Amino acid sequence: MAATQQEARSCARTPKRTNMASFNKIESRNDPENDPFRSKYKARELLREIYCSAGLRAAKLGAVEYYLGVNHVDTEELPAGQEHLMNCMKLLERCRVSSLNVSLFIHVRNQLGILWAGRDETETAQGFLETAESIYQRYMKEDGSPPTDMTEYFAAEESLLTHQERIKRFELAYTHTMYYLAQVYKNLGQTERAATYCHTTLQRQLQLNQFTPMEWALNAATLSQYYITKGRYMEGRHCLSAATVISDLAGEVPSEAAAQENEAESERREHLRQKRAEIARCWIKYCLNLLQDAKKQLEDNIGELDTDRQEELKRARRREEEEEEKGRKSALLFGSEDTFDSIASIEEKVMCLFPLDFTEARSVFLVGQNHVTQAKDYFQMDGYVTDHIEILQDHSALFRSLAFFEEDLERRCKMHKRRVDMLEPICNDLNAQYYLMIRRQLMFELAETYNEMMDLKLALANRQADTQSLDNHTIKKFNHLCSASAKYFQMFLDSLCSPEGKFPERLEEEVLRPALVARFRVARLHSRFISTSPTVQLDNLNKSLENYKYVVQYCEANPEAGATVETELELSKEMAGLLPLKINRLKARMASNN
Amino acid sequence: MAGASVKVAVRVRPFNSREIGKESKCIIQMSGNTTTILNPKQPKENKSFNFDFSYWSHTTPEDVNYASQMQVYRDIGEEMLLHAFEGYNVCIFAYGQTGAGKSYTMMGRQEKDQQGIIPLLCEDLFTKINDSNNDNSMSYSVEVSYMEIYCERVRDLLNPKNKGNLRVREHPLMGPYVEDLSKLAVTSYNDIQDLMDSGNKARTVAATNMNETSSRSHAVFNIIFTQKKHDMETDNTSEKVSKISLVDLAGSERADSTGAKGTRLKEGANINKSLTTLGKVISALAELKKKKVESFIPYRDSVLTWLLRENLGGNSRTAMVAALSPADINYDETLSTLRYADRAKQIRCNAVINEDPNNRLVRELKEEVARLKDLLYAQGLGDIIESECHSSSRTRALSSRAGSISNLHDRIFSPASEEAIERLKETEKIIAELNETWEEKLRRTEAIRMEREALLAEMGVAMREDGGTVGVFSPKKTPHLVNLNEDPLMSEFQFDMKSIRILGHFIKDEHCTFSSTTGPQGEGRRAPRHPWSPSTGPLLSESCWRNKAST
Repeated sequence: MAATQQEARSCARTPKRTNMASFNKIESRNDPENDPFRSKYKARELLREIYCSAGLRAAKLGAVEYYLGVNHVDTEELPAGQEHLMNCMKLLERCRVSSLNVSLFIHVRNQLGILWAGRDETETAQGFLETAESIYQRYMKEDGSPPTDMTEYFAAEESLLTHQERIKRFELAYTHTMYYLAQVYKNLGQTERAATYCHTTLQRQLQLNQFTPMEWALNAATLSQYYITKGRYMEGRHCLSAATVISDLAGEVPSEAAAQENEAESERREHLRQKRAEIARCWIKYCLNLLQDAKKQLEDNIGELDTDRQEELKRARRREEEEEEKGRKSALLFGSEDTFDSIASIEEKVMCLFPLDFTEARSVFLVGQNHVTQAKDYFQMDGYVTDHIEILQDHSALFRSLAFFEEDLERRCKMHKRRVDMLEPICNDLNAQYYLMIRRQLMFELAETYNEMMDLKLALANRQADTQSLDNHTIKKFNHLCSASAKYFQMFLDSLCSPEGKFPERLEEEVLRPALVARFRVARLHSRFISTSPTVQLDNLNKSLENYKYVVQYCEANPEAGATVETELELSKEMAGLLPLKINRLKARMASNN
Repeated sequence: MAGASVKVAVRVRPFNSREIGKESKCIIQMSGNTTTILNPKQPKENKSFNFDFSYWSHTTPEDVNYASQMQVYRDIGEEMLLHAFEGYNVCIFAYGQTGAGKSYTMMGRQEKDQQGIIPLLCEDLFTKINDSNNDNSMSYSVEVSYMEIYCERVRDLLNPKNKGNLRVREHPLMGPYVEDLSKLAVTSYNDIQDLMDSGNKARTVAATNMNETSSRSHAVFNIIFTQKKHDMETDNTSEKVSKISLVDLAGSERADSTGAKGTRLKEGANINKSLTTLGKVISALAELKKKKVESFIPYRDSVLTWLLRENLGGNSRTAMVAALSPADINYDETLSTLRYADRAKQIRCNAVINEDPNNRLVRELKEEVARLKDLLYAQGLGDIIESECHSSSRTRALSSRAGSISNLHDRIFSPASEEAIERLKETEKIIAELNETWEEKLRRTEAIRMEREALLAEMGVAMREDGGTVGVFSPKKTPHLVNLNEDPLMSEFQFDMKSIRILGHFIKDEHCTFSSTTGPQGEGRRAPRHPWSPSTGPLLSESCWRNKAST
């Protein structure tokens, strides 16, 4: 009530700035029964007065110029379009910004922004749009009453808009300004700013209730991917939590039975399940990146947990937590009143600071794994091979990151075994023709995982029996892991061969480093087999030498390759020089034993 | 070898009559593999692009620089066919604005030296098969499928009965496939041509019915080619299946799945007006930062992604031919085509190998190198063999943790999800298809052909008596006129009989009228007021119109 009275007062003070809709709403209720149209007649008088005032006439003319301009732009007659839009600008120049014309002020600048961006004159576009932004902000600060929409200039008085409708249209125009600015900043290479404006656009859509839930949710989830690659996990988490909450507004997934009965339901089911699975995949990436970045912070120069660093970071943690709290207050947050709490409660379920020990890492891992299950439920192997495997690869990477935090070597080894178990059958079953690229990735990862397990087994054995030599069982296990690793590296190398089985003379750029690294690692693995038989030892050392030599010779023949495998090449050269010594000694010993 | 980037060719055609009529200037120059486009408004501003092949077909064969159909086929088609015989999947994308000469390059004309890549490739394919027929140990089979992708929907063009939206899927053994897409057995190039023709008709009919332009859809013609080798000695049969895909790619600016009309794929600076494109902008931002597998960008165009994945993710060879108009009036579109082709050069499969850092391995190896060097200096003191395994991993002192996470395993190792019956059914479908004999396939092909003809006839497309080529249009139930055009994609069906607008030279304001009268057999015929003749206008002679009064 208070607001209405205030409006009425303001109408009385400045009749020119009032508008029909508010007038009707305020006064018609109070019209006496014997004179029901009193307010209408009054309004008409007022309107006539307004009509005569120069300000409105200019705005009206400006609106006509505006519509003409847009019309020409739509038909790709840009010069004519520009002329009309600039005429509109000139007409407005004479007017003060008011509720009568502010909408047009914004609209015409939006259009000029589009026009100049289309001509590659991004800075000019930026100028118009930024002015629109500041006009809006000033208007909202100084006036803020629901402005007249341009369509009302030409509408009959009974079809004037309600306050609500005016606000909606005006705010939508400004949302567009935000969106266009996002694109302008993107084109200017200011990605950070562009992201902020995308964020604002999303936030405004939500606040003004102008969005389609699933589309909005997917956009927010996509924005999270920008933030996480920037290492801004708080913002990333916020986008994802909002995505989860808003996607629920899209409604329940129709049951399978309902889907079978009618096609629309079936399509809806498909759509909802797919989008939710996609949001889940964005969550997986969040968890994975958070773990991996934490690992990078904590590892020493050979990839093990650096406990000093860990202590240091834990001490710094309290400060960080305070900063997070501060950050939350200043950051752009999504949410209307009814969604705010549910977004916050999802945020609470997963941390956005780097996990610093196993317990914390595990909690992030479990959230990620939960989303893996969700995503796989839709992206099943049968039907979505590539997607399904990408999810499995992420799952495997989650395990790999978690293993870093695990201190118990036995358990760490079991985590890697889990990776092998989920990737190995797929790698072997996939059609090699269609899934060549994926299989190569899997082979490489399997080779590395077996290698890791081999190292862990040896470390364990060494710890348990420090002084004694390795027992037979351990040696067998070790050799098995060693040969499995070599097998997958070799399989990867074989996949590069032509159908006739010939290894290429020149390696393609994409596989150059992986192929040389695979050779290098095969060489290393062969020299690590444990055997008491000198013949077997000799055989392994020869194979090892052969692979080191390949790396050296390839880089000699293709000097540009050397830069991609600097360290490996240097070591290969050394080993190619030194291994013959080892081989000769072994041979000598064999000869003397005979 | 595989994973090689896309081979890209561009080709410029002669002026067409419209361009000659407008006295167009040629704005394309070629020199070696370089193609240059001149900006007609700012003549100094020209842009050059390098491709694997730049084909100059703007002039006549008398020109020494002229690239003939045969030359294009030799460079691109022959190599692709060779790869197919080797067992690779091959794919040729055709790109370019309507009327830029895409069909001429891909299909050509039915005259000597005028055939395009597809007929030449198919002819060669069957010649090679027939040549090796003497070899009893080899047997071959060829099947084809034809589909259209429009706004994320997939349509079967060889079996119009297959109306619904087909699903694109992937199977771990079968690879990417389209569910329920008909695969028809063929034994000669004629068969292929017939199927392609009727598929094109189905495409046109569907597009017209839905008020779409077919240039906004992608069309994919697949030739599935199986080579079986029987080893007499071991009695083993080995099989090599390769797929030849011929993709008619819609200009991506037209296939905008948001349906925003007139959106052009000009370079980056353009602003998307509608908020429905917000997702695109955000995706692009996230893409900018995308390294390796760090982020997941939800797909916006999943069918196209699927299509590209099919042809770039496997053991395949891919080529793209972009058709260019030479005329200055088409500058914008031609430049956009060139840019698209330029980007295609960079298309590579993004399946990168993500290596674990191998710092530890490097350190261990360095230690070993040092040891071996010491050894060398010491002239063979100490035992070389046993030292290696023990010393390396003793360095780290990691204490065992208390068993506070004993339930971790249960939480991590979640039980395998139950196998859905649906999936079993799908597998059975695939198995049934695999077990189908060649004879059964041919029989099924015949049955689908009959159905297709009946349906097409209903829609206004008639086959020749022998069931071969699509000939004249002969509608059955509804009265209508048929607009014939040399380019099958331009042919359209006109159902509205009240008034028809024909534009062109020699057309009078009221050119003719049609009336329907019932004959003795209850059959109506056209009765033109002004009889058609070559002197009064273009011949629309076969546009006869029947109206069965009884139906």
